Amino acid sequence: MTVEESDLVLVKRVQRGDKAAFDLLVRKYQHKVVKLVLRYVRNPAEAEDIAQEAFIKAYRALPQFRGDSAFYTWMYRIAINTAKNSLASRDRSPIKYDLDLTDPEESHGVQTKLQDPDTPEGMALTEEIRQVVNSAIDALPEELKTAIVLRELDGLSYEEIAAAMECPVGTVRSRIFRAREAIDKRLRDVFEGGLGRTEEMV
Amino acid sequence: MTEERDSQLSAMFDDELPGAECELLARRLTRDEALRAQWSRFSMIGAALRAERGVALHDRVACRVQSVVAKEATYGDGTVDSAATSSQPIPATAFQTKIASSSRWLRFARPIAGASIAAGVAAVSIMWMRSDLGGSDPMLASNPVAAPASTSETIVLTPDATTLASNQASNPAPAARVPSNGEPDVYVTPAPSSSPGIAPPARLANYVVAHSEYSGPLSRRMALLGLVAADSDVEVPAEENAAAKGDAAAGAADGP
Repeated sequence: MTVEESDLVLVKRVQRGDKAAFDLLVRKYQHKVVKLVLRYVRNPAEAEDIAQEAFIKAYRALPQFRGDSAFYTWMYRIAINTAKNSLASRDRSPIKYDLDLTDPEESHGVQTKLQDPDTPEGMALTEEIRQVVNSAIDALPEELKTAIVLRELDGLSYEEIAAAMECPVGTVRSRIFRAREAIDKRLRDVFEGGLGRTEEMV
Repeated sequence: MTEERDSQLSAMFDDELPGAECELLARRLTRDEALRAQWSRFSMIGAALRAERGVALHDRVACRVQSVVAKEATYGDGTVDSAATSSQPIPATAFQTKIASSSRWLRFARPIAGASIAAGVAAVSIMWMRSDLGGSDPMLASNPVAAPASTSETIVLTPDATTLASNQASNPAPAARVPSNGEPDVYVTPAPSSSPGIAPPARLANYVVAHSEYSGPLSRRMALLGLVAADSDVEVPAEENAAAKGDAAAGAADGP
């Protein structure tokens, strides 16, 4: 199996002039980047602004990206630097943590105690999505639930999940896909037409 | 088919799809908004599962970034190789380089090719005109122009070149002979001078004499008179004047 190959394929498409490929990378990592920036700034709206700035910086620097590291690791550094620069420009101090926030592995499970960034409608929508996803997870068969949790919460690769569940990698792929499909179907049923672009809804 | 594609999408989202399939699906993703929406929902499901507090489950950041990136410069030449099915980076780069180098070559070759065509057309035109002047035009062929080194120009209005040669051999500076129809066979025009002011009348005289057989007798005489008058106005050097007089005397002695 490949490691970070799909990101690299998308990066190379961007480098060849495909802006839509960069949109896919942003959609994939926007939540992670906002979550990361929220450890440096308190205001969720400001965190979104910094995340936006970080992605734009990444786009401008993408021709220099050679794939020596994973795209998200590279993006992670850009986001942290952007957040730090934003704080320095306003002469403020970042939120102090005992953990090393520059280490993606170490900071993976850190939960911030912050308020929801959105309007009341946006907050309600976000909460509703969470409830739907959680209820859909609960309704999944045990093997599907385990596979998706190991992937999304623990961040294991398919090979590691296959080793943990003692099944072929192909079965892991199928289980994760079926779990996502079930949750996605539930989301589409609840929100009629899906939640691909929720800007208008929010 | 759709299930297989969705399965591939899920694997690609997890960076677990083989490169070749990844490239194909990436190409489709960039064109299919429904598929991109599904991609977004996969991201949202992960964020919801991780209970990322403070993170709104929407695409606002992506929307903003997309609107800014749309105004940014496009990398490469903006034409992504839609035919590429492999994820190997080298062929795509080689393809781009090949396209760029060929277009660069064409950029230089195009004006050169245009100039070559123009030069070829000009050469053909010159050759055609030369061949036309040399043989087919009886008017120009029968009016040879004497060498500029000679002190006088003799224009013979006989179409036959052999006649011209015999005339020149027997009579280097003949006087004007008047045939039965009143038109002379040979005209002696004043010798061209090095002075630039004299050259135009000499050329004009040549022209008038050469075309005299096509003009009326009255207009021909008027033109000749005008030429003689113009020539008399010009100061002729003493040597040239003496030579001209000698030529005239010799012509009178050889005349019929």
